[in-house]
Amino acid sequence: MNAVPGYTLPSIKYKQKATIATAVAFVFVGLCVAMGFDPALLFTEFHYVRDLAGSMTPPNFKVFWSDAGIYMAIAESLCMAFLGTLLGGLGGLALAFGSAGPTMPWKGVRMVCRGILTLLRVIPTLILILIFVVSVGIGPFSGVLTLLLATIGGFGQLFTQVIEQAEPKPLEAVYSVGASRVQVIRFGLWPQVLPSFIANMFYAYDVNLRAGIGLGIFGGGGVGFQLFMAIRLLHYKEAFALICVTVVLIVLMEKASDLLRTSLLQKNL
Amino acid sequence: MIEVRHICKTLPGGRRVLDDLSFTVRKGEFVGVLGASGAGKTLTLRCLNGLLKPDSGSILIALPGGGVEDICKVPSRKLRQIRQRIGVVFQGYHLVKRLTVLENVLVGRLGQISTFRSLIYGFKDKEAEEAVAALEKVKVAHLAGARVSSLSGGEMQRVAIARAIFQNPHLLLADEPISNLDPSNAKVIMRLIRPLCEEMPVIGVFHQPEMTAKYCTRIIAIKEGRIVYDGQPVLTQEQLIDIYGEELRQIENHNHERPVL
Amino acid sequence: MNVLSYKKNRMSTLPSKRDRASALPYKGGRYLRYLLPLGVLGVLTWLSSMVCHTNWASLAKGIHESLPYFKNLLAPDWSALSSLLKPALDSVLIALVGTFAGTLIAVFFALSAASNVAPRPVRFIVRALMGIERALPEIVILLFLVAAFGMGPFSGVLSLTIGCVGMLGKLLADAIEELDPVYIESMEAVGARKVQVLFFGVIQPIVPTIVSYGLFRFEMSIRLSIVLGAVGAGGIGMELYRAFSLYEYPRASMALLLILVLVFLSERGAAYLRKKYFT
Ligand SMILES: Nc1ncnc2c1ncn2[C@@H]1O[C@H](COP(=O)(O)OP(=O)(O)OP(=O)(O)O)[C@@H](O)[C@H]1O
Ligand SMILES: [Mg+2]
Repeated sequence: MNAVPGYTLPSIKYKQKATIATAVAFVFVGLCVAMGFDPALLFTEFHYVRDLAGSMTPPNFKVFWSDAGIYMAIAESLCMAFLGTLLGGLGGLALAFGSAGPTMPWKGVRMVCRGILTLLRVIPTLILILIFVVSVGIGPFSGVLTLLLATIGGFGQLFTQVIEQAEPKPLEAVYSVGASRVQVIRFGLWPQVLPSFIANMFYAYDVNLRAGIGLGIFGGGGVGFQLFMAIRLLHYKEAFALICVTVVLIVLMEKASDLLRTSLLQKNL
Repeated sequence: MIEVRHICKTLPGGRRVLDDLSFTVRKGEFVGVLGASGAGKTLTLRCLNGLLKPDSGSILIALPGGGVEDICKVPSRKLRQIRQRIGVVFQGYHLVKRLTVLENVLVGRLGQISTFRSLIYGFKDKEAEEAVAALEKVKVAHLAGARVSSLSGGEMQRVAIARAIFQNPHLLLADEPISNLDPSNAKVIMRLIRPLCEEMPVIGVFHQPEMTAKYCTRIIAIKEGRIVYDGQPVLTQEQLIDIYGEELRQIENHNHERPVL
Repeated sequence: MNVLSYKKNRMSTLPSKRDRASALPYKGGRYLRYLLPLGVLGVLTWLSSMVCHTNWASLAKGIHESLPYFKNLLAPDWSALSSLLKPALDSVLIALVGTFAGTLIAVFFALSAASNVAPRPVRFIVRALMGIERALPEIVILLFLVAAFGMGPFSGVLSLTIGCVGMLGKLLADAIEELDPVYIESMEAVGARKVQVLFFGVIQPIVPTIVSYGLFRFEMSIRLSIVLGAVGAGGIGMELYRAFSLYEYPRASMALLLILVLVFLSERGAAYLRKKYFT
């Protein structure tokens, strides 16, 4: 049978697909074996989960009356994410302006800014928080610093792309009336990128709120730290109560930032 | 006055898109540039504004304060200064979509105010009034507060024209300023542009020979990057066929009606 | 007459003086309306810095004082490389298996959460479950898994899988809902069975979406697996954490270097696969 150009016969296609599927399955099983990961454990050892669930319920909500530190922890988590997002976002914005072609005419500066952004992006947050905990001590401040650097990296790269994808034609038109580079950025580029900047700031806040809770475990403060201590001390009922609070907090903040974002973007900025 | 001397432009691929163009336009002239699609009209206008550097040749522009500059050779600071008084209507309007109509018109004066003033948005009442007046001239003043992204194509086109007029130009370059307008608005615009040539050279690219015949004082026709006609605004059918190609004749013979053009 | 009607027309289209004034950008203090939001932002920043005990002077001082220690981070201990390769591989495997299993399961969750496939009650429950999951960072899930199953890659893979299901489940469900109904209708029109409709009408068309989200999640998983390692999933993250806590900075530095290479390679690899698959 001659193959029709641009078309694979079903029999050949099936064979290809079957080969790929088998290969992937083998690789998957091989990986599991190599790592000592046995999915069956999930079912044979499931009683551990049941035990844990038993010791976690009912959640002990009394801690909210007895321990005011929890409210402080919640406030810390919210504020950590806020500061990290705001400062990191602004820093990322500055670096993005420095590393995007339409805004920065000098290639050397662009390369430096890009290098900083890439470095910040690949450095794991784990090492950042470890370093900051050593240098400024355990507490929310080290969490803020870590979130800040991580946000600069992620936000800066994203925003560089946003700037480079902005429509070039309006910029040209503003140039054509004899405007300076700063004026072109202010009147041609800024209106184009502002909505994306605002939307991504809110998005980054949601991400940072979650990340901040994770950082608490390493000494970043906030709800994460409380949670970690509760589990460490085997206070599972308290831990469960904290989990409930965390979920409510994150879902609520997500809704709130959604609302605020849409109402802001509809305005004529 | 603007004088173009032997400008040539070759694209990176080796294609020669502008081939030894020379012409002079004086105050009092309204030059209509005709030519088939891809003939190089837009490229020529871009050269006149300094957005595109020709490979060779020179473009001399008489400055408002007296004196003449070659726009191909001036340093960028001087170029910016010259551009302040060159009004350009782009083929694709090139408006800033997220700004309002009025703000887009105000952009036309950016070069003439200090960077600091523009950063804090310090346009003066008088400038805004003038901008509204410019919008009134092209009959879109009722849209002054609307965002450009909500306008129709013809409205955007008129905003772009208002921006160029608001610049108080000493030279007006308009790339197909009536391409998207209905016949009556097209007339409004042509009636608006025509008297401007009393004060400055006006160069417009058009695809409507019947309009240029009525309003322009002179026609320059470009074909494959070369000037093939330069003279009186009224062209004969044979001359049009020479510019636009044989297809023009064929359509006419087919229909046995009044020519569309 | 012509002129008259033109004038009349013009009058009607022109705004009144007041309308025009309100369109002017600078009247009434254009920047006054930014004052309140900026003020709120400023107060929030100030409050937050109070709550978080921000102290930039202490940062400068702390960095300055700890610099002698961290200088060792710049001199990786190459002899530790051989003992770190296995944990590095473990981290990659954890991420790979977690992402792979998670993506497969996410497809089923997505099917039961999409409005054009699943019945209302099922959809509601599944969406709520995934919403709760997404609200919990992987690291918190891992804490509980470690409490149940003990430390080790098993807990790590499981938490990554759960995280992956929560994230991709929602994204894929949204993708399915945006699917053009003609896919399903054309399948039903030829009399296909329910399973066939699901497979050929729903899953087949979103395979590219699954692949692109899966690759995106893989990049995330690699980063996550490093943090998770420090909490008990094992792998290179654990090595880094341990070396750091024991002040073995040259070894920590070597682990860090490996991690940088890993993250970089995973990013490149994902980009390569994406390009390969989508062109
Ligand atoms: N940036 C560019 N890169 C490559 N080729 C270009 C570029 N700009 C223009 N050209 C080519 O140069 C030729 C002339 O273009 P130009 O825009 O001047 O045409 P035009 O006469 O304005 O046509 P139209 O009436 O359709 O606007 C075209 O063939 C076009 O393909
Ligand atoms: Mg053109």
